[in-house]
Amino acid sequence: MAINPITFMSPAQSVNEVNVQNQLTPANAQQQFADTLKEAIASVNEHQKTSDTMTQKLINGGDVDLFEVMIAAQKASVTLNTTIEVRNKAVEAYQEIMRMNV
Amino acid sequence: MSIFHSMNTTASALTSQRLRMDVISSNIANVDTTRAKQVNGEWEPYRKKSVTLKEQQGQFSNFLNMAIGKTEKIGAGNGVKVSSIKEDTETPFKLVYDPSHPDANAEGYVQMSNVDVLKEMVDLISASRSYEANITAFNANKSMLTKALEIGKG
Repeated sequence: MAINPITFMSPAQSVNEVNVQNQLTPANAQQQFADTLKEAIASVNEHQKTSDTMTQKLINGGDVDLFEVMIAAQKASVTLNTTIEVRNKAVEAYQEIMRMNV
Repeated sequence: MSIFHSMNTTASALTSQRLRMDVISSNIANVDTTRAKQVNGEWEPYRKKSVTLKEQQGQFSNFLNMAIGKTEKIGAGNGVKVSSIKEDTETPFKLVYDPSHPDANAEGYVQMSNVDVLKEMVDLISASRSYEANITAFNANKSMLTKALEIGKG
């Protein structure tokens, strides 16, 4: 028996969403951007905290493998570098706009 | 599939190779063990243990997505998992003539464990080489991610 794919989005819903996106006010857009950034930073922080707890566990002689700690540290490092790149890009865009002659 | 999918796959492989190493260490440590467990009131020597590995199955959501056709039938895989640790009941125990041994039988022979140290050494090298290979894969993966961050620079 074939199982039909479940579509969560009905056409009416998607049209509404498009309308909402079209009527986005600058304040809304800023809020959305801030929320996205907050979420991303929270996820990076989560990786940092995981790495930290695992290191603590290893030092205290807990049941954790050395490579797991190293992998957690690497994951934290990659996510942090990604955040830094995003930050650089945002600052660059801001400076580009500030340099604009009015 | 997150950006850390292959890192998690490598981590699972490292876990299983570590476990293989633990089992090999136990085998080598117990090469002379004559009293590993009691069977019907008689001590039995240590039996060589070996690890069997299997492919790790995905989460429930993976299967659901596959069933409703949202993802392809064959994904990138989820790594490796230890399926069982089995004792070797095929190889007979070694008989060593040592009448002074407390576990010697009436003829003066002692039953020793069926661990072959040479085979264990080969397994040991195999496990440590696989561990290295997985770490190389991990490093390659990390350098790919770092390189991706350099897109648009320079």
